[in-house]
Amino acid sequence: MNKTSPLNNTLTFAFMDPPFENERTITFFRLLDAALEKNANVRVFAYEGAVALAFARQQQHGNAVHGRDTETENHPLTKDWISALQRKSKDKGLSFEWINCGLCVDERGVNEAVEGCGRGGPADLWRYASESHNTLAIGTR
Amino acid sequence: MKVLQVIDQAFRTTGEEQDDTILWLTQCMRSAGAELEVLLTGHGAYYTVQSRTQPALRFGAWQQTQPADITQDIGRLREKGVPVYVEREALQERGLFGLPVLPGVEVISRDAVVKLYENADQIWHW
Amino acid sequence: MSHFLFIQSQDPFTEVAASRQYQLAAELAKAGNQVQVLLVQNGVTPARKGANCPAFDALLASSVSVLADEFALRQREFGENHLRDGVQPAEIGLVVDAMLAGHKVIWN
Repeated sequence: MNKTSPLNNTLTFAFMDPPFENERTITFFRLLDAALEKNANVRVFAYEGAVALAFARQQQHGNAVHGRDTETENHPLTKDWISALQRKSKDKGLSFEWINCGLCVDERGVNEAVEGCGRGGPADLWRYASESHNTLAIGTR
Repeated sequence: MKVLQVIDQAFRTTGEEQDDTILWLTQCMRSAGAELEVLLTGHGAYYTVQSRTQPALRFGAWQQTQPADITQDIGRLREKGVPVYVEREALQERGLFGLPVLPGVEVISRDAVVKLYENADQIWHW
Repeated sequence: MSHFLFIQSQDPFTEVAASRQYQLAAELAKAGNQVQVLLVQNGVTPARKGANCPAFDALLASSVSVLADEFALRQREFGENHLRDGVQPAEIGLVVDAMLAGHKVIWN
């Protein structure tokens, strides 16, 4: 715990995984949703592959194996999850902040992020963590 | 606030990022004033007995010019006053115990890891 | 005394490190700390009755409180009688509770 934090109801999450690759991404979003559900303000530092979670150009597609067209398949996109959590936070009067590590964005070419997701660096992770009540880092494998 | 950075993997980013991404992150946060310690366990123990730069990658005509230098990365952390620990049992399991560890890296027992966890305000396991 | 919550995603069938992670949790508990382990993802697999995992047996025999993410259990179709004695199903929100309570919350 950050014993000196002025933001007692703010939690920071650091994450590294890109979308679509593994279960950690699902658990991470479930934690963000749970945090808002429990009226915590949320700050996310997206590092390495996680900067692609907010990529605005993610696109749905159909799935011939499933026998479904694009509309029916309604493929989940993490950018939509982020937007949904932003709306949830707004409805509840909470804050939901998201920073992508800028160098990680550059090397992956995912420069277009959905609205409300900013660009920063490791100093922002430290700032977030220092100001928050607590921080959870979820590494990749 | 003191944060213990736990790194138990190795070589997952050294090719493309030309460093260990968490050692790099730690250096950057330290420069921003963070109070940090690093525990290298599991395969992370390999980093403490490195003696040269990583082999340069080559694909077709493309040749890497700046392969990772873990010895330098750990050296920089030590210069910035970040304590760096390696778990003795992790070295032993991997047949690395007895090799010289990088300057300033402290070899600790698994028992001492308990104390590190107790003394840190937060533990970030990457 | 500190409070620790380990979010245990790694399982001992595929990740050797998981056994050591269980040990560390037990050692912290033995040292007088309050320790919980929340099994998530494939981390719930040793918690099924009939699973063969001495390292997990040792964790259950320690004073660590072991919980399993109900979502992960549902995904893997654990029925009520499939969960080993000593493991309680739990909602993911307990992670948030622990973070808000200032506990040391660590992802494995």
